[in-house]
Amino acid sequence: MNALQPKSRTSVLIGFVDWIMPLACAVLMVYFAFATKAFFTFANISTVITQNAPTFVVAGFAGMLLMSGYVDLSVGSMMALSGVSAAIVFNSAGVGAGVVTGLAVGLLVGVVNGILIGVLGLSPIVVTLGGLAGGRAMAQFLAPDSIFGFPPPVGAFANTSFLGITYVGWVAIIVSLILVFVMGALPIGKRIQAIGVNPRASFLVGIRVKWTVVALYAAVGLAVGIAGLLQVARLDSAPSGTLGLGFEVTILTAILLGGIPFTGGRGSIWRVLIGVWLLAILKNGLTLMNFGPEVAGMVTGGVLVVAAGLEALTVWLRRRA
Amino acid sequence: MSEQQSSLVVTDLWKSYGSNTVLKGVDLELRAGRVHALLGANGAGKSTLLSCLSGAARPDSGDITVAGTVHAGFTPLQAFDAGIAIIYQHFQLIGPLSVSDNVFLGSELKTNLGLTDRARQEAETREVFRLLGLDVDPKRAVETLSVGEQQMVEIARAVRRKPSVLILDEPTAALGVHEVDALLALVRRLARGTGISVVYVSHLLGEILEISDDVTVLRDGEVLWSRARADIGLSDLVDAISPDRREQQQGNRALDTAVKIEFEQLSGGFTGPIDLALREGEIVGVFGLLGSGRTDLLETIAGVRPRAGGTIRLGGKPVDHRSPRAAISAGIALVASDRKEQSLFGEMAAVDNLLMPHLSKLAKGMRNRAGELAEFADVAGRVGLVPNNPLLPADSFSGGNAQKIAVGRWAAGSADVQVLLLDEPTQGVDVGARSDLYDLIRGVAEAESMAVIFASSDPEEIVALADRVIVLVDGEVRYSGPNELDEAELTALAQPESTERNVSV
Repeated sequence: MNALQPKSRTSVLIGFVDWIMPLACAVLMVYFAFATKAFFTFANISTVITQNAPTFVVAGFAGMLLMSGYVDLSVGSMMALSGVSAAIVFNSAGVGAGVVTGLAVGLLVGVVNGILIGVLGLSPIVVTLGGLAGGRAMAQFLAPDSIFGFPPPVGAFANTSFLGITYVGWVAIIVSLILVFVMGALPIGKRIQAIGVNPRASFLVGIRVKWTVVALYAAVGLAVGIAGLLQVARLDSAPSGTLGLGFEVTILTAILLGGIPFTGGRGSIWRVLIGVWLLAILKNGLTLMNFGPEVAGMVTGGVLVVAAGLEALTVWLRRRA
Repeated sequence: MSEQQSSLVVTDLWKSYGSNTVLKGVDLELRAGRVHALLGANGAGKSTLLSCLSGAARPDSGDITVAGTVHAGFTPLQAFDAGIAIIYQHFQLIGPLSVSDNVFLGSELKTNLGLTDRARQEAETREVFRLLGLDVDPKRAVETLSVGEQQMVEIARAVRRKPSVLILDEPTAALGVHEVDALLALVRRLARGTGISVVYVSHLLGEILEISDDVTVLRDGEVLWSRARADIGLSDLVDAISPDRREQQQGNRALDTAVKIEFEQLSGGFTGPIDLALREGEIVGVFGLLGSGRTDLLETIAGVRPRAGGTIRLGGKPVDHRSPRAAISAGIALVASDRKEQSLFGEMAAVDNLLMPHLSKLAKGMRNRAGELAEFADVAGRVGLVPNNPLLPADSFSGGNAQKIAVGRWAAGSADVQVLLLDEPTQGVDVGARSDLYDLIRGVAEAESMAVIFASSDPEEIVALADRVIVLVDGEVRYSGPNELDEAELTALAQPESTERNVSV
């Protein structure tokens, strides 16, 4: 039995491949720190966190969902729908009611996705692709023009900091820490992974597969509601046409960079958060170096292909191990 | 019976996997236009012989002579070119495509413009179908056909390429009674009409007697005998596939412990009704061939399938669970037959696999890693897991040790299993590791006062492990009593009605 022998060269290699992405992230930060003066300052890092707070919040939950083998493509459009709904209520019934509305719309959409997919067994891609098209259209139907002029507390929330980081940024940090804890330290984390690895075996050992999937979609929906509120507060407006446009691609990119394959069952949440961070600093650092956003886009594409290569390499090494 | 020429001759074929020699000098002669049945118990070397013929495996030594050319072995493509076609239990058809598109898949007929010539393909498909006596519209999508018709399309596809040898591996496994009759008729017509040699592999003895012209029996990698159908009867076949020596019977105990679980007129979607009571520590073996309902019965008890009727009483109290989850909390756990597909989480660590159902019970809010590892060490020690490494992924264990994880799951300290159900407990397990598992199952049953029901298609396993035996045929109980029957008697009892009728012919 090989397993009793000291670690084989192959398993050491697999361990190394596992660390390439986090290492690349660290190397990139060091590079930007030397290439531009502005990058490695507390103010800039804090800004990056704030700018990417909605991505952090949703990527963690969507990563958990993909870990169980399910995907949600509707997050961007649903962010627009919940954000626009919240904005309308901000201006008509006040801030508290608006927050509740934003969260409720997100949660409701998540529950509906979850029941259609988890309980009725419809295709996750088809259902949430429908949500991608329909959610944005509903947002635009509700508010053809951008909504702004919110009551003062909205802007105050977005512009207040604690220990140098905005409240918006803190929401992202706290949600991220909670998710890392849940996946790493609670039994449900292993069960979610188990569903992704082998749904039939999960069912047979007594895991409530269907309801776990519903709960995961609901959690993603709630996270989308939170992200919608954060984004609306940050922008101090709710543009139905552009709010969260392309968000689903960013989320999926971050998750895949985090090592969770489309089939689920592998990877971890902290890696997903590193994936979000990698995308965020790429954009920020290249901007600081005076490259346009199209360069960041091209580099992101390249990084994703490299990630796919690393994934294939791991699978190949594992088969040989 | 005229002496037709040989279409394929196998001479002194040897094949080993590692230290395990599977084929020990097999000789086989197939003659044109005849149906040659191949049978043998599990592990006799049937599949390996087929693999050598179809190019899936390469023999270590020996010759395969086809149409006068001597081959030392094949790749799949070479076997195909040599005129050997094989049809597996799982069809290789593309559902949405039409019948004729499937028949010509990969070797499409082209028009002068290089387009697919559908008209000619359909015409040629009809021609092959006429030869086989098959009445199916070549334009229909394959997925709209019955399983039996799909089987025949598979055969038609192979026959169109005019092979000299056609191998059918358990061709009736998925078919209903009427479809079996139609298939047997087709196979006979095929052999007589085209001169193709058909190799017919089946464990259904009645079918073999009905269809074959010649019969070869393998045992322990050697040819036990090879005779013409006319010279043999059912008893020859039953004797041939049963081992000489009887496994030492370790089961067949009469227990007087308390009754653990009772079934009263229990029926599942297909199986039953069944009356049965098991005592603490007792092991009941359910013997049945493929399609006998043995898995259906276990899954009904385990809450995986809905119960059609009847009562289950656990410790005297009726239980009415409707999911595996509810069954497990009532104390009934199932170890399914296909470990990879149904039991284990391949890439996850052994400790997570073992404790997946008990993580919440072990956790104090947060997961308790130290407690998990301690419990793993306890179970791994008791079941003799090798290697005893909690962090190794489940898919890197051997079959026997993977099964120890799957069984050990329900013997863990935090499990509270009263009734353990095992479907094919040693499927894909080396012969040498089987008795370990039997000891393990017996030990678990005794130590935890469990009642154990296992299902098996291997009569040796029934004889070796069971205290009492149930024989299922077509979902009905054919025998229920002490473990007194030997392998041959069990095998004869388990044959479906339809083949009995054929046997008496």
